[in-house]
Amino acid sequence: MTDSIATFMTDDHQRCDHLLAACEQAVSGGDWTRLAEQVKDLSTALLGHFDMEEQVLFPELVAVSPWASGPTGMMTMEHAQMRSLAEELEDAVGTRDADACLGILETLHLVIQQHNSKEEGILYPMAEENLGDQTPDILNRLQAA
Amino acid sequence: MMGTGGLSLDQAPPIDIPARFFLTAPLFAIAAGLLLASQGPTLLVSRWMPGALAAAHLIAIGYLGLIMCGALLQMLPVVAGAPVPAVRLVGTATHLLLTIGAAGLAWGLAGGGPSLIWIGAGAAALGFLVFVAPVAVALARARGAPGTLLALRTAALALAVTVALGLLLVAALQGWIRVPEHTRWVDTHAAWGLMGWVGLLVVGVAIQVLPMFYVTPAYPAPVRRWFAPAVLVGIGAASAAWVMGADLVGQAVFGTIALGFVGFAFITLRLISRRERPRLDPTLLHWWAAMLSLCGAALAWAFAATPTLIGVLLLVGVGVGLPAGMLFKILPFLTWFHLQHRQLASGRFDLRIPHMGSLLSTRWARVQFGLHLAALALLVGSLWVPVLARPAGIALALSSLVLIVLLIGVARTYRQFAALLRPAHSGVEPRS
Repeated sequence: MTDSIATFMTDDHQRCDHLLAACEQAVSGGDWTRLAEQVKDLSTALLGHFDMEEQVLFPELVAVSPWASGPTGMMTMEHAQMRSLAEELEDAVGTRDADACLGILETLHLVIQQHNSKEEGILYPMAEENLGDQTPDILNRLQAA
Repeated sequence: MMGTGGLSLDQAPPIDIPARFFLTAPLFAIAAGLLLASQGPTLLVSRWMPGALAAAHLIAIGYLGLIMCGALLQMLPVVAGAPVPAVRLVGTATHLLLTIGAAGLAWGLAGGGPSLIWIGAGAAALGFLVFVAPVAVALARARGAPGTLLALRTAALALAVTVALGLLLVAALQGWIRVPEHTRWVDTHAAWGLMGWVGLLVVGVAIQVLPMFYVTPAYPAPVRRWFAPAVLVGIGAASAAWVMGADLVGQAVFGTIALGFVGFAFITLRLISRRERPRLDPTLLHWWAAMLSLCGAALAWAFAATPTLIGVLLLVGVGVGLPAGMLFKILPFLTWFHLQHRQLASGRFDLRIPHMGSLLSTRWARVQFGLHLAALALLVGSLWVPVLARPAGIALALSSLVLIVLLIGVARTYRQFAALLRPAHSGVEPRS
Protein backbone atom coordinates (compact mmCIF):
# COMPACT_ATOMS: atom_id res chain seq x y z
CA MET A 1 0.00 0.00 0.00
CA THR A 2 1.28 3.43 -0.90
CA ASP A 3 1.94 6.11 1.69
CA SER A 4 1.34 8.98 -0.70
CA ILE A 5 -2.02 10.65 -1.31
CA ALA A 6 -0.97 11.67 -4.82
CA THR A 7 0.03 8.14 -5.78
CA PHE A 8 -3.10 6.62 -4.28
CA MET A 9 -5.40 9.04 -6.11
CA THR A 10 -3.44 8.84 -9.38
CA ASP A 11 -3.65 5.04 -9.32
CA ASP A 12 -7.40 5.37 -8.96
CA HIS A 13 -7.47 7.70 -12.00
CA GLN A 14 -5.69 5.04 -13.99
CA ARG A 15 -8.15 2.39 -12.83
CA CYS A 16 -10.94 4.56 -14.25
CA ASP A 17 -9.02 5.03 -17.55
CA HIS A 18 -8.78 1.25 -17.92
CA LEU A 19 -12.49 0.79 -17.17
CA LEU A 20 -13.42 3.40 -19.80
CA ALA A 21 -11.21 1.68 -22.39
CA ALA A 22 -12.96 -1.59 -21.52
CA CYS A 23 -16.33 0.05 -22.25
CA GLU A 24 -15.11 1.08 -25.67
CA GLN A 25 -13.91 -2.43 -26.34
CA ALA A 26 -17.34 -3.72 -25.40
CA VAL A 27 -19.02 -1.26 -27.82
CA SER A 28 -16.78 -2.48 -30.63
CA GLY A 29 -17.61 -6.06 -29.71
CA GLY A 30 -21.35 -5.32 -29.98
CA ASP A 31 -22.21 -7.27 -26.82
CA TRP A 32 -24.82 -5.05 -25.14
CA THR A 33 -25.20 -7.10 -21.97
CA ARG A 34 -21.47 -6.98 -21.39
CA LEU A 35 -21.39 -3.27 -22.22
CA ALA A 36 -24.11 -2.55 -19.65
CA GLU A 37 -22.00 -4.29 -16.99
CA GLN A 38 -18.84 -2.44 -18.03
CA VAL A 39 -20.65 0.91 -17.96
CA LYS A 40 -21.96 0.10 -14.49
CA ASP A 41 -18.41 -0.67 -13.32
CA LEU A 42 -17.13 2.55 -14.81
CA SER A 43 -19.87 4.65 -13.20
CA THR A 44 -19.29 3.04 -9.82
CA ALA A 45 -15.56 3.69 -10.02
CA LEU A 46 -16.01 7.30 -11.14
CA LEU A 47 -18.63 8.16 -8.54
CA GLY A 48 -16.56 6.46 -5.85
CA HIS A 49 -13.57 8.57 -6.81
CA PHE A 50 -15.60 11.78 -6.74
CA ASP A 51 -16.94 10.86 -3.30
CA MET A 52 -13.42 10.30 -1.97
CA GLU A 53 -12.46 13.76 -3.12
CA GLU A 54 -15.61 15.65 -2.22
CA GLN A 55 -16.16 14.00 1.17
CA VAL A 56 -12.62 13.47 2.42
CA LEU A 57 -9.76 15.04 0.50
CA PHE A 58 -11.19 18.43 -0.50
CA PRO A 59 -12.70 19.33 2.91
CA GLU A 60 -9.42 18.37 4.65
CA LEU A 61 -7.41 20.46 2.21
CA VAL A 62 -9.71 23.47 2.51
CA ALA A 63 -9.60 23.16 6.32
CA VAL A 64 -5.81 23.69 6.38
CA SER A 65 -5.56 26.02 3.37
CA PRO A 66 -8.79 28.01 2.89
CA TRP A 67 -7.56 29.46 -0.42
CA ALA A 68 -7.85 25.97 -1.90
CA SER A 69 -11.63 26.36 -1.95
CA GLY A 70 -11.48 27.97 -5.42
CA PRO A 71 -9.71 25.09 -7.16
CA THR A 72 -11.63 22.38 -5.27
CA GLY A 73 -14.90 24.13 -6.13
CA MET A 74 -13.86 24.06 -9.78
CA MET A 75 -13.01 20.36 -9.55
CA THR A 76 -16.35 19.62 -7.90
CA MET A 77 -18.11 21.41 -10.75
CA GLU A 78 -16.28 19.24 -13.27
CA HIS A 79 -17.33 16.17 -11.28
CA ALA A 80 -20.92 17.25 -11.88
CA GLN A 81 -20.23 17.41 -15.64
CA MET A 82 -18.82 13.90 -15.58
CA ARG A 83 -21.71 12.59 -13.50
CA SER A 84 -24.14 13.89 -16.08
CA LEU A 85 -22.11 12.34 -18.94
CA ALA A 86 -22.12 9.02 -17.09
CA GLU A 87 -25.92 9.21 -16.85
CA GLU A 88 -26.14 10.09 -20.54
CA LEU A 89 -23.98 7.05 -21.29
CA GLU A 90 -26.32 4.75 -19.37
CA ASP A 91 -29.25 6.15 -21.37
CA ALA A 92 -27.42 5.52 -24.65
CA VAL A 93 -26.71 1.93 -23.59
CA GLY A 94 -30.41 1.59 -22.75
CA THR A 95 -31.41 2.64 -26.28
CA ARG A 96 -28.58 0.56 -27.82
CA ASP A 97 -27.23 3.53 -29.74
CA ALA A 98 -23.61 2.56 -30.52
CA ASP A 99 -22.67 5.89 -32.15
CA ALA A 100 -23.95 7.84 -29.17
CA CYS A 101 -22.09 5.50 -26.79
CA LEU A 102 -18.83 6.11 -28.63
CA GLY A 103 -19.38 9.88 -28.85
CA ILE A 104 -20.20 10.13 -25.14
CA LEU A 105 -17.28 7.89 -24.16
CA GLU A 106 -14.96 10.07 -26.24
CA THR A 107 -16.28 13.22 -24.55
CA LEU A 108 -16.12 11.65 -21.10
CA HIS A 109 -12.58 10.44 -21.76
CA LEU A 110 -11.31 13.91 -22.69
CA VAL A 111 -13.10 15.61 -19.80
CA ILE A 112 -11.55 13.07 -17.44
CA GLN A 113 -8.08 13.53 -18.94
CA GLN A 114 -7.97 17.31 -18.71
CA HIS A 115 -9.53 17.13 -15.23
CA ASN A 116 -6.97 14.56 -14.05
CA SER A 117 -4.03 16.48 -15.45
CA LYS A 118 -5.08 19.45 -13.34
CA GLU A 119 -5.58 17.35 -10.21
CA GLU A 120 -2.35 15.39 -10.67
CA GLY A 121 -0.32 18.43 -11.69
CA ILE A 122 -1.59 20.91 -9.14
CA LEU A 123 -4.16 19.78 -6.61
CA TYR A 124 -2.61 16.52 -5.37
CA PRO A 125 0.87 18.02 -4.96
CA MET A 126 -0.85 20.86 -3.07
CA ALA A 127 -2.56 18.31 -0.83
CA GLU A 128 0.69 16.43 -0.21
CA GLU A 129 2.43 19.63 0.75
CA ASN A 130 -0.28 20.87 3.10
CA LEU A 131 -1.57 17.68 4.67
CA GLY A 132 1.82 16.08 5.38
CA ASP A 133 1.39 14.74 8.93
CA GLN A 134 -2.25 13.72 8.50
CA THR A 135 -1.43 11.54 5.47
CA PRO A 136 -1.83 8.06 7.10
CA ASP A 137 -5.19 9.04 8.62
CA ILE A 138 -6.49 10.53 5.37
CA LEU A 139 -5.32 7.51 3.37
CA ASN A 140 -7.26 5.24 5.73
CA ARG A 141 -10.39 7.30 5.30
CA LEU A 142 -9.97 7.45 1.50
CA GLN A 143 -9.79 3.68 1.38
CA ALA A 144 -12.84 3.39 3.56
CA ALA A 145 -14.87 5.93 1.55
CA MET B 1 3.69 28.64 -2.67
CA MET B 2 1.87 26.79 -5.36
CA GLY B 3 -0.06 28.68 -7.96
CA THR B 4 -3.60 27.67 -8.71
CA GLY B 5 -3.39 28.68 -12.35
CA GLY B 6 -5.27 26.44 -14.75
CA LEU B 7 -7.86 25.50 -12.20
CA SER B 8 -10.11 28.34 -13.13
CA LEU B 9 -12.06 28.55 -16.34
CA ASP B 10 -11.51 32.32 -16.31
CA GLN B 11 -7.95 31.58 -17.34
CA ALA B 12 -8.90 29.57 -20.40
CA PRO B 13 -9.37 31.97 -23.31
CA PRO B 14 -12.86 32.66 -24.67
CA ILE B 15 -13.67 30.06 -27.32
CA ASP B 16 -13.69 32.57 -30.18
CA ILE B 17 -9.94 33.15 -29.76
CA PRO B 18 -8.71 29.63 -30.65
CA ALA B 19 -11.70 29.07 -32.97
CA ARG B 20 -10.79 31.96 -35.28
CA PHE B 21 -7.30 30.46 -35.78
CA PHE B 22 -8.75 27.02 -36.52
CA LEU B 23 -11.41 28.31 -38.91
CA THR B 24 -8.98 30.43 -40.93
CA ALA B 25 -6.09 27.96 -41.24
CA PRO B 26 -7.65 25.47 -43.71
CA LEU B 27 -8.17 28.34 -46.20
CA PHE B 28 -4.39 28.51 -46.63
CA ALA B 29 -4.09 24.78 -47.33
CA ILE B 30 -6.92 25.14 -49.85
CA ALA B 31 -5.02 28.04 -51.44
CA ALA B 32 -1.84 25.92 -51.65
CA GLY B 33 -3.81 23.12 -53.32
CA LEU B 34 -5.43 25.48 -55.81
CA LEU B 35 -2.06 27.05 -56.59
CA LEU B 36 -0.71 23.61 -57.45
CA ALA B 37 -3.83 22.76 -59.45
CA SER B 38 -3.48 25.94 -61.51
CA GLN B 39 0.30 25.89 -62.04
CA GLY B 40 0.56 22.14 -62.52
CA PRO B 41 3.85 20.21 -62.69
CA THR B 42 6.06 23.32 -63.09
CA LEU B 43 5.44 24.15 -59.42
CA LEU B 44 7.21 20.97 -58.34
CA VAL B 45 10.17 21.12 -60.75
CA SER B 46 12.41 22.34 -57.95
CA ARG B 47 12.13 23.92 -54.54
CA TRP B 48 13.22 27.23 -56.09
CA MET B 49 10.09 27.54 -58.22
CA PRO B 50 8.11 30.62 -57.15
CA GLY B 51 4.96 28.50 -56.81
CA ALA B 52 6.73 25.95 -54.58
CA LEU B 53 8.08 28.70 -52.31
CA ALA B 54 4.63 30.25 -52.12
CA ALA B 55 2.89 26.94 -51.36
CA ALA B 56 5.47 26.07 -48.69
CA HIS B 57 4.84 29.36 -46.87
CA LEU B 58 1.06 29.14 -47.25
CA ILE B 59 1.22 25.82 -45.44
CA ALA B 60 3.97 26.64 -42.92
CA ILE B 61 2.75 30.05 -41.78
CA GLY B 62 -0.89 30.22 -42.87
CA TYR B 63 -1.95 26.71 -41.95
CA LEU B 64 0.48 25.26 -39.47
CA GLY B 65 1.43 28.56 -37.86
CA LEU B 66 -2.18 29.57 -37.23
CA ILE B 67 -3.23 26.19 -35.84
CA MET B 68 -0.19 26.03 -33.58
CA CYS B 69 -0.81 29.50 -32.16
CA GLY B 70 -4.51 28.89 -31.60
CA ALA B 71 -3.87 25.53 -29.94
CA LEU B 72 -1.10 26.85 -27.67
CA LEU B 73 -3.19 29.78 -26.45
CA GLN B 74 -5.81 27.24 -25.46
CA MET B 75 -3.55 24.47 -24.21
CA LEU B 76 -1.03 26.27 -21.99
CA PRO B 77 -3.52 27.20 -19.24
CA VAL B 78 -4.95 23.68 -19.15
CA VAL B 79 -1.83 21.55 -19.49
CA ALA B 80 0.71 23.67 -17.69
CA GLY B 81 -1.34 26.01 -15.51
CA ALA B 82 0.15 28.87 -17.49
CA PRO B 83 -2.37 31.31 -18.92
CA VAL B 84 -1.04 33.60 -21.65
CA PRO B 85 -1.18 37.24 -20.49
CA ALA B 86 -3.58 39.59 -22.36
CA VAL B 87 -4.84 36.62 -24.35
CA ARG B 88 -7.57 38.46 -26.26
CA LEU B 89 -5.20 41.17 -27.48
CA VAL B 90 -2.40 38.69 -28.22
CA GLY B 91 -4.77 36.33 -30.02
CA THR B 92 -6.38 39.04 -32.12
CA ALA B 93 -3.09 40.66 -33.15
CA THR B 94 -1.34 37.34 -33.86
CA HIS B 95 -4.23 36.05 -35.94
CA LEU B 96 -4.45 39.23 -38.00
CA LEU B 97 -0.70 39.60 -38.56
CA LEU B 98 -0.10 35.95 -39.45
CA THR B 99 -3.04 35.92 -41.86
CA ILE B 100 -1.82 39.07 -43.64
CA GLY B 101 1.78 37.86 -43.45
CA ALA B 102 1.15 34.40 -44.91
CA ALA B 103 -0.98 35.78 -47.73
CA GLY B 104 1.41 38.64 -48.55
CA LEU B 105 4.57 36.56 -48.38
CA ALA B 106 3.09 33.78 -50.51
CA TRP B 107 1.75 36.23 -53.07
CA GLY B 108 5.11 38.00 -53.20
CA LEU B 109 7.07 34.74 -53.56
CA ALA B 110 4.70 33.52 -56.26
CA GLY B 111 5.63 36.52 -58.38
CA GLY B 112 3.91 39.48 -56.74
CA GLY B 113 7.23 41.23 -56.33
CA PRO B 114 9.73 42.19 -53.63
CA SER B 115 7.62 44.73 -51.77
CA LEU B 116 4.89 42.17 -51.13
CA ILE B 117 7.58 39.74 -49.94
CA TRP B 118 8.93 42.09 -47.31
CA ILE B 119 5.53 43.36 -46.21
CA GLY B 120 4.33 39.76 -45.86
CA ALA B 121 7.50 38.55 -44.15
CA GLY B 122 7.46 41.57 -41.86
CA ALA B 123 3.83 41.03 -40.86
CA ALA B 124 4.38 37.30 -40.27
CA ALA B 125 7.54 37.95 -38.22
CA LEU B 126 5.69 40.58 -36.19
CA GLY B 127 2.80 38.13 -35.72
CA PHE B 128 5.13 35.45 -34.38
CA LEU B 129 6.89 38.02 -32.17
CA VAL B 130 3.59 39.26 -30.71
CA PHE B 131 2.79 35.61 -30.02
CA VAL B 132 6.16 34.32 -28.79
CA ALA B 133 6.83 37.08 -26.25
CA PRO B 134 3.75 36.50 -24.01
CA VAL B 135 3.90 32.74 -24.62
CA ALA B 136 7.51 32.78 -23.44
CA VAL B 137 6.29 34.46 -20.24
CA ALA B 138 3.64 31.74 -19.84
CA LEU B 139 6.12 28.95 -20.65
CA ALA B 140 8.61 30.32 -18.14
CA ARG B 141 5.92 30.32 -15.41
CA ALA B 142 4.53 26.94 -16.44
CA ARG B 143 4.91 23.89 -14.26
CA GLY B 144 4.07 20.24 -14.59
CA ALA B 145 4.30 18.16 -17.79
CA PRO B 146 8.12 18.62 -17.92
CA GLY B 147 8.71 16.60 -21.11
CA THR B 148 6.09 18.51 -23.05
CA LEU B 149 7.20 21.88 -21.77
CA LEU B 150 10.82 21.17 -22.66
CA ALA B 151 9.86 20.26 -26.22
CA LEU B 152 7.55 23.28 -26.54
CA ARG B 153 10.25 25.62 -25.25
CA THR B 154 12.78 24.24 -27.73
CA ALA B 155 10.19 24.41 -30.53
CA ALA B 156 9.50 28.07 -29.68
CA LEU B 157 13.23 28.77 -29.81
CA ALA B 158 13.53 26.98 -33.16
CA LEU B 159 10.61 29.03 -34.48
CA ALA B 160 12.37 32.24 -33.41
CA VAL B 161 15.57 31.16 -35.22
CA THR B 162 13.56 30.17 -38.33
CA VAL B 163 11.86 33.58 -38.42
CA ALA B 164 15.18 35.42 -37.89
CA LEU B 165 16.81 33.45 -40.72
CA GLY B 166 13.77 34.11 -42.92
CA LEU B 167 14.09 37.85 -42.30
CA LEU B 168 17.80 37.62 -43.11
CA LEU B 169 16.95 35.99 -46.45
CA VAL B 170 14.36 38.65 -47.21
CA ALA B 171 16.93 41.36 -46.43
CA ALA B 172 19.39 39.66 -48.79
CA LEU B 173 16.72 39.36 -51.47
CA GLN B 174 16.00 43.06 -51.20
CA GLY B 175 19.71 43.83 -51.52
CA TRP B 176 19.81 45.41 -48.04
CA ILE B 177 22.58 43.07 -46.96
CA ARG B 178 24.94 40.70 -48.75
CA VAL B 179 24.92 37.02 -47.82
CA PRO B 180 27.63 34.80 -49.30
CA GLU B 181 26.41 31.39 -50.48
CA HIS B 182 22.76 32.25 -50.27
CA THR B 183 21.66 28.62 -50.85
CA ARG B 184 23.23 27.40 -47.65
CA TRP B 185 21.32 30.00 -45.65
CA VAL B 186 18.08 28.86 -47.29
CA ASP B 187 18.94 25.25 -46.31
CA THR B 188 19.53 26.41 -42.75
CA HIS B 189 16.22 28.31 -42.66
CA ALA B 190 14.41 25.18 -43.91
CA ALA B 191 16.25 22.90 -41.45
CA TRP B 192 15.31 25.07 -38.45
CA GLY B 193 11.75 25.34 -39.67
CA LEU B 194 11.12 21.70 -40.53
CA MET B 195 13.31 19.80 -38.06
CA GLY B 196 13.33 22.37 -35.28
CA TRP B 197 9.96 24.01 -35.22
CA VAL B 198 7.65 21.43 -36.88
CA GLY B 199 9.64 18.43 -35.63
CA LEU B 200 9.89 19.50 -32.00
CA LEU B 201 6.30 20.71 -31.94
CA VAL B 202 5.22 17.23 -33.01
CA VAL B 203 7.44 15.74 -30.29
CA GLY B 204 5.98 18.00 -27.60
CA VAL B 205 2.40 17.35 -28.65
CA ALA B 206 2.97 13.60 -28.99
CA ILE B 207 4.50 13.25 -25.52
CA GLN B 208 1.53 15.06 -24.04
CA VAL B 209 -1.48 13.88 -25.98
CA LEU B 210 -0.86 10.32 -27.12
CA PRO B 211 -0.86 8.82 -23.62
CA MET B 212 -3.74 11.15 -22.73
CA PHE B 213 -5.94 10.55 -25.80
CA TYR B 214 -5.38 6.84 -26.26
CA VAL B 215 -4.16 5.55 -22.88
CA THR B 216 -0.81 4.39 -24.24
CA PRO B 217 2.25 3.82 -22.07
CA ALA B 218 4.26 7.03 -21.56
CA TYR B 219 7.27 7.77 -23.78
CA PRO B 220 10.50 6.44 -22.25
CA ALA B 221 11.99 8.96 -19.78
CA PRO B 222 15.21 9.56 -21.80
CA VAL B 223 13.11 10.51 -24.84
CA ARG B 224 11.05 12.95 -22.79
CA ARG B 225 14.11 14.47 -21.17
CA TRP B 226 16.83 14.44 -23.80
CA PHE B 227 15.39 14.21 -27.29
CA ALA B 228 14.23 17.81 -27.77
CA PRO B 229 17.34 19.54 -26.35
CA ALA B 230 19.59 17.13 -28.27
CA VAL B 231 17.81 17.96 -31.53
CA LEU B 232 18.09 21.68 -30.81
CA VAL B 233 21.83 21.50 -30.11
CA GLY B 234 22.26 19.22 -33.13
CA ILE B 235 20.53 21.62 -35.52
CA GLY B 236 22.59 24.48 -34.12
CA ALA B 237 25.86 22.59 -34.69
CA ALA B 238 24.86 21.18 -38.08
CA SER B 239 23.65 24.49 -39.48
CA ALA B 240 26.76 26.32 -38.25
CA ALA B 241 28.93 23.71 -39.96
CA TRP B 242 26.81 23.89 -43.11
CA VAL B 243 26.97 27.68 -43.36
CA MET B 244 30.74 27.61 -42.83
CA GLY B 245 31.14 25.08 -45.62
CA ALA B 246 32.08 22.08 -43.45
CA ASP B 247 29.87 19.83 -45.56
CA LEU B 248 30.85 16.49 -44.08
CA VAL B 249 30.26 17.56 -40.47
CA GLY B 250 27.00 19.27 -41.38
CA GLN B 251 25.66 16.24 -43.21
CA ALA B 252 26.77 13.82 -40.51
CA VAL B 253 24.97 15.78 -37.79
CA PHE B 254 21.84 16.37 -39.89
CA GLY B 255 21.86 12.62 -40.64
CA THR B 256 22.05 11.80 -36.94
CA ILE B 257 19.10 14.10 -36.22
CA ALA B 258 17.10 12.50 -39.04
CA LEU B 259 17.89 9.08 -37.58
CA GLY B 260 16.72 10.35 -34.19
CA PHE B 261 13.38 11.38 -35.67
CA VAL B 262 12.99 7.97 -37.31
CA GLY B 263 13.57 6.43 -33.89
CA PHE B 264 10.98 8.77 -32.42
CA ALA B 265 8.49 7.79 -35.14
CA PHE B 266 9.03 4.09 -34.43
CA ILE B 267 8.57 4.55 -30.70
CA THR B 268 5.39 6.51 -31.41
CA LEU B 269 3.97 3.80 -33.69
CA ARG B 270 4.88 1.17 -31.11
CA LEU B 271 3.15 3.12 -28.31
CA ILE B 272 0.07 3.56 -30.49
CA SER B 273 -0.04 -0.16 -31.13
CA ARG B 274 0.01 -0.75 -27.37
CA ARG B 275 -2.84 1.69 -26.67
CA GLU B 276 -5.72 0.63 -24.50
CA ARG B 277 -8.50 2.48 -26.29
CA PRO B 278 -9.27 0.24 -29.24
CA ARG B 279 -10.79 2.71 -31.68
CA LEU B 280 -8.83 3.58 -34.78
CA ASP B 281 -10.28 7.09 -35.00
CA PRO B 282 -9.42 9.59 -37.78
CA THR B 283 -7.01 11.42 -35.48
CA LEU B 284 -5.06 8.23 -34.95
CA LEU B 285 -5.05 7.55 -38.71
CA HIS B 286 -3.46 10.97 -39.18
CA TRP B 287 -0.82 10.11 -36.56
CA TRP B 288 0.01 6.94 -38.46
CA ALA B 289 0.29 8.73 -41.79
CA ALA B 290 2.38 11.53 -40.27
CA MET B 291 4.84 9.15 -38.60
CA LEU B 292 5.26 7.15 -41.81
CA SER B 293 5.79 10.42 -43.73
CA LEU B 294 8.44 11.37 -41.20
CA CYS B 295 10.27 8.08 -41.79
CA GLY B 296 9.84 8.53 -45.55
CA ALA B 297 11.38 12.00 -45.39
CA ALA B 298 14.39 10.70 -43.46
CA LEU B 299 14.84 7.86 -45.97
CA ALA B 300 14.55 10.32 -48.87
CA TRP B 301 17.24 12.47 -47.30
CA ALA B 302 19.51 9.47 -46.68
CA PHE B 303 19.23 8.42 -50.33
CA ALA B 304 19.82 11.99 -51.53
CA ALA B 305 16.37 12.17 -53.12
CA THR B 306 15.13 15.50 -54.47
CA PRO B 307 14.54 18.09 -51.73
CA THR B 308 11.02 18.57 -53.11
CA LEU B 309 10.15 15.05 -51.95
CA ILE B 310 11.41 15.76 -48.43
CA GLY B 311 9.48 19.03 -48.40
CA VAL B 312 6.27 17.35 -49.58
CA LEU B 313 6.51 14.57 -46.98
CA LEU B 314 7.23 16.94 -44.10
CA LEU B 315 4.99 19.85 -45.02
CA VAL B 316 1.98 17.93 -46.34
CA GLY B 317 2.46 14.47 -44.78
CA VAL B 318 3.21 15.78 -41.29
CA GLY B 319 2.39 19.50 -41.38
CA VAL B 320 -1.03 19.39 -43.08
CA GLY B 321 -2.25 15.99 -41.90
CA LEU B 322 -1.46 15.95 -38.20
CA PRO B 323 -3.02 19.34 -37.31
CA ALA B 324 -6.20 18.33 -39.19
CA GLY B 325 -6.34 15.16 -37.11
CA MET B 326 -5.87 17.13 -33.90
CA LEU B 327 -8.59 19.62 -34.81
CA PHE B 328 -11.06 16.72 -35.11
CA LYS B 329 -10.73 16.40 -31.36
CA ILE B 330 -9.82 19.89 -30.18
CA LEU B 331 -12.69 21.96 -31.59
CA PRO B 332 -15.55 19.57 -30.67
CA PHE B 333 -14.12 19.19 -27.18
CA LEU B 334 -13.75 22.94 -26.64
CA THR B 335 -17.27 23.45 -27.92
CA TRP B 336 -18.69 20.87 -25.56
CA PHE B 337 -16.68 22.30 -22.68
CA HIS B 338 -17.80 25.90 -23.21
CA LEU B 339 -21.43 24.89 -23.76
CA GLN B 340 -21.33 22.94 -20.50
CA HIS B 341 -20.24 26.04 -18.64
CA ARG B 342 -22.94 28.10 -20.31
CA GLN B 343 -25.44 25.49 -19.22
CA LEU B 344 -24.29 25.80 -15.61
CA ALA B 345 -24.56 29.58 -15.81
CA SER B 346 -28.00 29.52 -17.44
CA GLY B 347 -29.48 26.71 -15.36
CA ARG B 348 -31.05 25.20 -18.50
CA PHE B 349 -30.60 21.58 -17.44
CA ASP B 350 -33.53 20.48 -19.61
CA LEU B 351 -31.29 20.87 -22.67
CA ARG B 352 -28.84 18.13 -23.50
CA ILE B 353 -25.49 19.41 -24.78
CA PRO B 354 -24.45 17.55 -27.96
CA HIS B 355 -21.54 15.18 -27.28
CA MET B 356 -18.42 15.18 -29.45
CA GLY B 357 -19.65 12.44 -31.76
CA SER B 358 -22.68 14.49 -32.76
CA LEU B 359 -20.69 17.72 -33.09
CA LEU B 360 -18.31 16.37 -35.74
CA SER B 361 -19.10 13.35 -37.87
CA THR B 362 -16.43 10.65 -37.56
CA ARG B 363 -17.46 9.30 -40.95
CA TRP B 364 -16.75 12.60 -42.68
CA ALA B 365 -13.52 12.88 -40.75
CA ARG B 366 -12.56 9.55 -42.30
CA VAL B 367 -13.41 10.92 -45.73
CA GLN B 368 -11.14 13.87 -44.96
CA PHE B 369 -8.33 11.47 -44.07
CA GLY B 370 -8.90 9.50 -47.28
CA LEU B 371 -8.64 12.67 -49.38
CA HIS B 372 -5.52 13.71 -47.48
CA LEU B 373 -3.92 10.34 -48.15
CA ALA B 374 -4.86 10.59 -51.83
CA ALA B 375 -3.35 14.08 -52.02
CA LEU B 376 -0.14 12.88 -50.39
CA ALA B 377 0.15 9.84 -52.68
CA LEU B 378 -0.56 11.93 -55.79
CA LEU B 379 1.93 14.60 -54.71
CA VAL B 380 4.70 12.05 -54.16
CA GLY B 381 3.77 10.31 -57.42
CA SER B 382 3.79 13.59 -59.34
CA LEU B 383 7.52 13.96 -58.70
CA TRP B 384 7.97 11.02 -61.10
CA VAL B 385 4.74 11.28 -63.12
CA PRO B 386 4.24 15.05 -63.58
CA VAL B 387 0.71 14.70 -64.93
CA LEU B 388 -0.43 13.84 -61.40
CA ALA B 389 0.42 17.32 -60.10
CA ARG B 390 -2.93 18.96 -60.88
CA PRO B 391 -5.04 16.12 -59.42
CA ALA B 392 -2.75 16.28 -56.35
CA GLY B 393 -3.52 19.97 -55.94
CA ILE B 394 -7.24 19.35 -56.29
CA ALA B 395 -7.12 16.53 -53.71
CA LEU B 396 -5.19 18.73 -51.29
CA ALA B 397 -7.73 21.55 -51.69
CA LEU B 398 -10.64 19.12 -51.32
CA SER B 399 -9.31 17.50 -48.15
CA SER B 400 -8.91 20.91 -46.53
CA LEU B 401 -12.31 21.96 -47.82
CA VAL B 402 -13.88 18.99 -46.04
CA LEU B 403 -11.90 19.96 -42.93
CA ILE B 404 -13.17 23.54 -42.92
CA VAL B 405 -16.77 22.48 -43.63
CA LEU B 406 -16.60 20.09 -40.66
CA LEU B 407 -15.18 22.82 -38.42
CA ILE B 408 -17.80 25.34 -39.55
CA GLY B 409 -20.45 22.76 -38.71
CA VAL B 410 -19.11 22.55 -35.14
CA ALA B 411 -19.05 26.36 -34.87
CA ARG B 412 -22.66 26.61 -36.08
CA THR B 413 -23.85 24.08 -33.51
CA TYR B 414 -22.02 26.08 -30.86
CA ARG B 415 -23.82 29.28 -31.86
CA GLN B 416 -27.16 27.55 -31.97
CA PHE B 417 -26.81 26.16 -28.45
CA ALA B 418 -25.09 29.22 -27.04
CA ALA B 419 -28.15 31.24 -28.06
CA LEU B 420 -30.38 28.83 -26.12
CA LEU B 421 -28.09 28.93 -23.11
CA ARG B 422 -28.01 32.63 -22.36
CA PRO B 423 -27.07 33.29 -18.73
CA ALA B 424 -30.21 33.41 -16.58
CA HIS B 425 -29.42 36.85 -15.17
CA SER B 426 -29.28 38.52 -18.59
CA GLY B 427 -33.03 38.92 -18.52
CA VAL B 428 -33.42 37.42 -21.96
CA GLU B 429 -35.92 34.58 -22.03
CA PRO B 430 -34.22 31.67 -23.78
CA ARG B 431 -36.13 30.28 -26.72
CA SER B 432 -36.40 26.55 -26.98
